[in-house]
Order: sequence, then C-alpha cells, then structure tokens
Amino acid sequence: MRAGGVSREWVYSFPPTPSLLTGSDSLEVMMEIYVLVKQVPDPEAIIKVKSDSELEIENKYFTNFFDEIAIEAGLKLREKFGGKVTVLTVDNKKVDALRRGIAMSADDAIQITDPALEGSDQFAIARALAAYLKDKPFDLILAGRQAMDDDSGIVGPAVAEVLGIPHVNTITGLEVNDPKKEVRVVREVEGGKEILSCPLPALFTCQKGLNNPRIPQVMNVMKAMKAQIKKVDLAALGLSAVDVGGQVVKIKVQKYLAPPKRPPVKMIKEDFPENVKALVKLLKEEAKVI
Amino acid sequence: MMSNEIWVFAEQQEGKVRKATFQLLSAGIEFSKKINQPVGVVLLGNNLQDAVKSLTPFADKIYLVDNPALISYTSDAYLIHMTPLIKEHQPSVLLGGATSTGKDLFPRLAMHLQTGYAPDCTGLTVEENGKLVVKRPLYGGKVFAEIAFSEARPQMATVRNNTFLVNENPKKSAQVISIPSHMDPAALKKKVVGLEKAAGTKLDITEAEIVVAAGRGIKAPENFKIMEELADALNASVGTTRATVDEGWRDLKDQIGKSGKNISAKLYMAFGISGAIHHILGIGTCKTVVAVDTDPNALIFNYADYGIVGDLFQIVPALTEELKKALAEK
Amino acid sequence: MALDFSFTEEQEFFRQMVRDAVNRLIMPRVKELDEKEEFPWDLWKEFSALGYLGLRHDEKYGGMGTDTISQMIFYEELARGSCGFSMSATMQILMGTYFIARFGNENIKQRILVPAIKGEKIGTICFTEDQSGSDLGGARTLATKVDGGWRINGRKQWITNGPIADFATVMATVDPKLGLKGLNFYLVERKTENRDGFVPGQRLHKLGSRCSVTGELVLDNVFVPDENFLGEEIGKGVQYAGEILNEVRVMTGMNALAIAKEAMEDSKQYANNRIAFGNPISRYQLIREKFAKFWAWYETSRTFLYKCAWMIQNNIPCINDCMLAKYHSTEMCMYAVEEAMRIYGGNAFCSEYPVQRFWRDAKFLLYGGGTHEVLCDYLGRIYCKD
Repeated sequence: MRAGGVSREWVYSFPPTPSLLTGSDSLEVMMEIYVLVKQVPDPEAIIKVKSDSELEIENKYFTNFFDEIAIEAGLKLREKFGGKVTVLTVDNKKVDALRRGIAMSADDAIQITDPALEGSDQFAIARALAAYLKDKPFDLILAGRQAMDDDSGIVGPAVAEVLGIPHVNTITGLEVNDPKKEVRVVREVEGGKEILSCPLPALFTCQKGLNNPRIPQVMNVMKAMKAQIKKVDLAALGLSAVDVGGQVVKIKVQKYLAPPKRPPVKMIKEDFPENVKALVKLLKEEAKVI
Repeated sequence: MMSNEIWVFAEQQEGKVRKATFQLLSAGIEFSKKINQPVGVVLLGNNLQDAVKSLTPFADKIYLVDNPALISYTSDAYLIHMTPLIKEHQPSVLLGGATSTGKDLFPRLAMHLQTGYAPDCTGLTVEENGKLVVKRPLYGGKVFAEIAFSEARPQMATVRNNTFLVNENPKKSAQVISIPSHMDPAALKKKVVGLEKAAGTKLDITEAEIVVAAGRGIKAPENFKIMEELADALNASVGTTRATVDEGWRDLKDQIGKSGKNISAKLYMAFGISGAIHHILGIGTCKTVVAVDTDPNALIFNYADYGIVGDLFQIVPALTEELKKALAEK
Repeated sequence: MALDFSFTEEQEFFRQMVRDAVNRLIMPRVKELDEKEEFPWDLWKEFSALGYLGLRHDEKYGGMGTDTISQMIFYEELARGSCGFSMSATMQILMGTYFIARFGNENIKQRILVPAIKGEKIGTICFTEDQSGSDLGGARTLATKVDGGWRINGRKQWITNGPIADFATVMATVDPKLGLKGLNFYLVERKTENRDGFVPGQRLHKLGSRCSVTGELVLDNVFVPDENFLGEEIGKGVQYAGEILNEVRVMTGMNALAIAKEAMEDSKQYANNRIAFGNPISRYQLIREKFAKFWAWYETSRTFLYKCAWMIQNNIPCINDCMLAKYHSTEMCMYAVEEAMRIYGGNAFCSEYPVQRFWRDAKFLLYGGGTHEVLCDYLGRIYCKD
C-alpha cells in the first residue's frame, strides 16, 4: 500500500451534520463526563513489517480521530448542562491525546500508567479504566468507536461490561434533554439507522458524523502544553500485576504480514455478456468488495 | 463441562437470517470435518420458525431462545441469555459476523467470560488441536496480523463479510434445543425505539466505500444516468474526471484527481477513463480498481486489478443488472 | 551538555496543534485562495477566533506571549498552507503590530492593539516607496512637525493588507538629507469622516501570494496627533526597526522552508507515479539528484534557522546569523521550487497542478526584507572587514 502522499481529506472532510442536541436550554444539571482517549500512529505514518514479530512504525502520532469526536460530544454536553469533562488514557509513554483534550477545553486529564501494564491487551486496559471509574459519580462515559491502530473496538464495550452499565456502539446522534432521565441515541446499522433510548449512566462509542471536533484555540493549547497530567498507577486502582500485563493476554500476535501487493491487471477476456458476469463473480468472491 | 462444539451466533432481522451467518456456518462445517466437533448455532429473537428452518441444514444443533424481548438486538437482553448458555456448554469456538451487532455484542461478552476475542477477521482456520488461528488487518489495513488464542474458552472471533462462501449443499440436520426465557421485555433498560432505513443519499466521493466514475468516454451529460443507476445498485457514489467537469457536465466536487479529490474507496470502477497521471494520483489508495475502456492500450489498465476492453454503454447497464442479482442474494 | 537540537515535548505538541488547524482550515481552500485573488474574510474570521494573532503579544491585551522558537514553529506550519494567507497573518502578528505594542500609549493599545489581536482591525507596516526599497534612507515620505502632532505626506508601495488595512505603521523621514538618521515611525489610521488618515491607492496584481491583497497607501497631508509618534527619540527609527529585523528574517526563512518542503513532497509523489520509458521517473539519477540536493540544503537551512530562533530567544546577538539564514533558506527555496517545476515536466505549466503556485509564491521571498544583492554586498563586506 502506498504510504506517503495520501491526501488528508478523508480524515477531515466532515459531512454536514445537524446538531441533534435539542430541548430546553441550560438546565444546569451538571454532568460528570469521562472520555476515554488513545494516542495512535498518524494515518499517514509509514508502517512496515520488519520481521515476524516486529513492526516498524514511523514516529508520527496523533489523537485517535474517533476519540476527538467523543471529546467534542462531551464538551457540547458540558456547554448545555454545565459540569465537568475529564479525559482518561492508559499509556505508559504518550500523553498527547490527553493534552489534546485539554487543548479542546476539557477540565481534567488522567494518565493511568504502570510498568506492569506493558503488553496488556484491550481487556486488561478496560479493566484498568473500569477500576478507576467505578467509584466516580459519572453520568456518561464516551469513547471513540475504535482505535486506529488495532481497529478492534473492544475497550468501550468491555469497560461498560465491568461497570455494569448499558452501552451503545458507533453513535451518530446523541440527544440529551434531561440527564436524569433517558437519552436518545442514533446508531449506524446495516441498511440504515437505529434509534435507541438509554438511561444514564451509560457508555457510548462515537462514530464519524456525530459532530465536528473543534479546532483548539491557542489559549487552551498553551494551557495544555503546560498542564501537569495526573498519573495513577495500578496500586491506586486496587489492581496488581496479575490483573494486567503481557502474561494475562488472551490473544497474541503470532506473526505480522504485509498486505497483499497489487498484482498485474487481470484482463477479463470473455465476450459480452459473459465478461460482465465474470467481473461480478470476481468482485464478489475474489476481491470480496461487494 | 467442555462441549467441544463450534458455535456460530446467528444474526437475524425480522426473522430472516443474515447471509453472514450462513457463511460462518459453512466455514464451521469445514472445520468440524477437520477437528471432529459438532456445529452449533445460537439463535435469539422472536417468531423464529422460518429462521430455524433455514438454519437446519447448516448445523448439528440449534440453541433457540424465542422471546418478544429479543425481537431487536440489544446487548443487555442478548447477554443475559447467552452468558449462562455459553457457561453451561463451554463451546471451543464462538464466531459471529463483523456486523454492527457482532461488534457490539462480542467484546462485551468476551469481557464477561474473560476469554479471547479477535475482531473483524479476514481469515480464520482451526488447527488439529482445536486452536483457532485468525488473520486480521491493523492500522487500517497497512499490515496484517496472524493471531493465536490462549487456553480460555470459547475462542471468540467476528469475521468480515464474504471471508467465507456459503456452502451450496450443507446436508446437515440440526437438532433444535429450545432454551426457555422468562425475561420481561419491560425490564430492558435500553430500548430500540425506531429504525430509519437508508434513503440512498450518496456520500461524498472521498467517504464512499464504492465509487464508480466515468470520463470523457461518457460523451454527453445525460448519459451519466447509467452511472447513477450503477451507483444505486452498489450504494456507491459517482465520480468523474476533469474532462467532464470542464465541459460543465459534472460538478467539481465529484472530480477525482490531483486537482480534484483523492479517494480511498474499497472498490473503484473507472469507465471510459484513459488513466492520465493526474487521475491516477487521485486513486492510489483504492483497494480494488476495475477499468473498462475501448482502448486496450489505455494507461488505466496499468493501475487496475481487473480490466475489460469494452464499450461502457454496453457494459454499464449489464453490470447494473448483474450486480442487482448478485446483491439480492444477501 | 551544550548542544541539544531537539524540540521540547510542549513545542512538538504546539506544532502538531498548529499543523492540525492549518490542515483543517486552510488546506482545503488553498487553490481557491490563490485563484480568487481576494482577501478571504471568512477564513480570517475563523482563524482569528483561534487566537493565534496574539502569538507575540502581552496577555494583558489578549495575546499569549509565546517564546521565539514556538513563534517560528507557528510560522513554519502556517506557511505550509497558503503563502498569501500566511503573509497577511504574519504581517498582523509581527510587523504590523510590533511598533504599536512597543511604543503606543495605553489609549492606542486599547484602541488598536486589542482589536488587532482579535482580528477585528487589520494592520500593516509601510517601508517601501516608488524609488526606495532596500535603500531605506531613500525614503521621501515626509513627516513635518506641527502643533500637537505631525503632518505626513507621501505614497507607500507594496503594502501587504494595504487595500483593507485599518491602521498602519508608516516609516517617514523628517529630513531626506539626514538619510537613515531621519527615519521615524508613525501610527496612521485609515481616513474616516472623523479622523484624518491614509487612503488606499492602487491595488497590485501579483504573481503569487494572491489572496494577500497588496497595494499603495496614499498619505495626503495627513495629520496625526503627537501620541501617534511611535518611538522615544526622533531619528532612531532604523534602530527600532532593527529590533525586529532578526525575527522578520527568520520568519521569512520559515516561509521558505515550508514552501520548499511542500513543493518537494508534492514532486516526490508525482515522481513516484509518473511513468516514462517504463519506470516511475524517481528511478532516474538526474531526478534523484534534485531531491538529494534539496534534502541536504533543506536540513541545513532548518537547523540554522532554528539556531537563530534560539539565539534571539536567548538574547544572543545574531544580526549576521539571521541574515545568513534568511539568505540560505530563500536560495534553497528558489532551488526547490525551480527543480519541482522541472520534475513535473510539461505538466508544471498547467495551473491544475500546485507546483506552479509554489514557484510563484516563493519568488517574493527574495525581496521581502531586502533583496539578496543588497544582503550579499553587506555580508561580504562584513566578512572581509579586518
């Protein structure tokens, strides 16, 4: 796959989205919102298979795109109801995703970090996040629909499971009129949209189309640059090394493989109309794109 | 008690089982031959008589839970029923489609069961010792990983559509095991209150999964109608080249190429487009490229996966019909 | 440990934020900005709302007072997008408001600087005249002392933001015979019903940076009150200008870096895809040489420019260094955009491709802040002095 020179338009061309936030203004009900964020390689970073067990990843990172949408959703609710938005990550090294949250005007940032977390899988990360959140008075937890590195979409629902709260995936609409009652969410399904009502507290994972994340104002960028990120370790969460880390992973990468190269063109030699039938068959069964 | 069964979570909508389920069951049948484990299917919903009938040839057992509370998928309702079922039988493998439902249910289920789960797999095999090995894309498909599972059971995976083919002649005869459910629909915290079917609004070409495009070969603006019809059949967006935009036949927003837009579609089909460099620069990251042109030496064939030397006015309508037939089989 | 060429984590984060803002706001519109040749008011409003116009100024007036290196990071990232927009924005951030912030009294700061930082009033600076560009001492715009103020007469050329400016820092002389020692700076606002001021004159149509509107400013016996004299002593204008010249030169160098990089990255993509004689042209040695040379000179320029930024930040005298860095980076940029045009072959001539825009935009870097012929004469003389 060609690595460099990709237009950024696919990331930044947001479709026009009417805001689905309706209802009475400013009830001042004060919502406590947490947003789970992750820092991932830039979509334009060059990623190559170095060996069976190692990838070479260009050192270009950014905040997971879907997490930005989640942060924006939290900020919009804070604007409507008042309250607090905290961004939360599990990462031993990078905190730029948290700084981005602050740059967008989140109130607080927490980094869960501990050497024992090395090699953790998504379930262990979910466990750590849930351990932090379980005694907090949250109304809503937001997350991106999946991280653009592992593309797995596990952490959000897994955190909801441990906390015992309802969750909805890939929401493209969020309507909150009274945080003490039910909220309406719209989510993408095959062939259309599903509208659900869900009580709070809950966890939603956010999909493109929910909103247009704001561009951070420079004052908040400066604040983010100087911010002291609160660190929390496993002991503070009441977890120990046996709960997380490489030894308890349930799935393991055995081998990395390069994507299949584009082979020379396959010219379909049949006459009309067999060639059309042959093409459809190839697209369906070989290329599997329809 | 380890049942050593290969289970597939069946997805149904309004009593009709989705194609993905049949694909996975077909794979399950192949695996069961290899490791001598029966194939089970877990079916939840309401009024499932037709569904059961369609599934019977594909499995050895159908674990059936029929309750009005399950008519639409919600994670709480489905989890409440599936977790005790799985805990009781402990299948060795549990597969589901990488659909909006599968991707919603499986991670939560895996967390509850403390077992391994690989999402969105593009390849899957079972080894002789019953261990699952899957292949899945990372970093948006820039690399792929081959993944092995630990001892935890069941080994869970959601699988992308069309990774497996449907077995034309499955020949099984499933025994139906009805599981009673006493759930009160009113107890559901989360409720589906509506469903909006897609109105067929076309996405921007930079966002569409499938883009079909025509260039100078289209000869006149009204001829784009055949492209629109093809796009409708594929739920695709229609793009074009500079030539037609300059003539005023199409809007600049649909122009693919260096001075227009770069697209990253799963499938890109170019009709009557010669393949000049500036267009090529716009399609570099499309996964599968199909080109149709009357000129066998057209440059575009250098950049395509599949090519047909032919007249687009003949090919496009025929293609639209063929696609409608093929996709209706879902 | 004396030498450390790395940016801090904060600076890297800042760079990423600016880059992201440029990608979202400016990149999608670069072609349109170039073609329309109009000042992009909607983009200006959106950009101003982010607060970057206050980069150099005191928090008291709505600015952020960032350090020099971060400012340079900002200029480098901004110029990647539209050179024209970058010119207008940097004029507002640096030259257009420096003298106001430095010498203006509180009344002027509240009236002019505060809205300028918000993007509500547009500023500029006026040096060039018909007969004098690099030769500052040749300025003929005359400032005559009168009761309660000054009368200023003259025409200023090549004024960035001129046609739309609300206020300008005008360089005028009290006596042409004094040459450089007669120069001073005055705040002049746009003429309104209630207030005397400048009138925008003829608008210039430029080769590049077209969305930055440039034109003439006419000062027809304009009266400005005493408080508009921007300085502490008469005749020290050149000395005051010297206070920001280093920054202006490094800033120009940053623009050069950004344009050169964009041009070559674009050419790289072209070279990897354009097939000639059966191969992508990036396989051929004479094409590869262009990239190799650019890369070597680009890295050198960049390191030198950031060294200058560091020297400015640490108050280390660096007049010559900044001149050298500006000279080097601009010449490197000329090379890059010229070679980019050659890599594209005949396609370079077509307005469909961005490469011709880089070439057109870059040319102005040769003239801003003094032509290279003047610079080289000065630098050579300094070097040879015993």
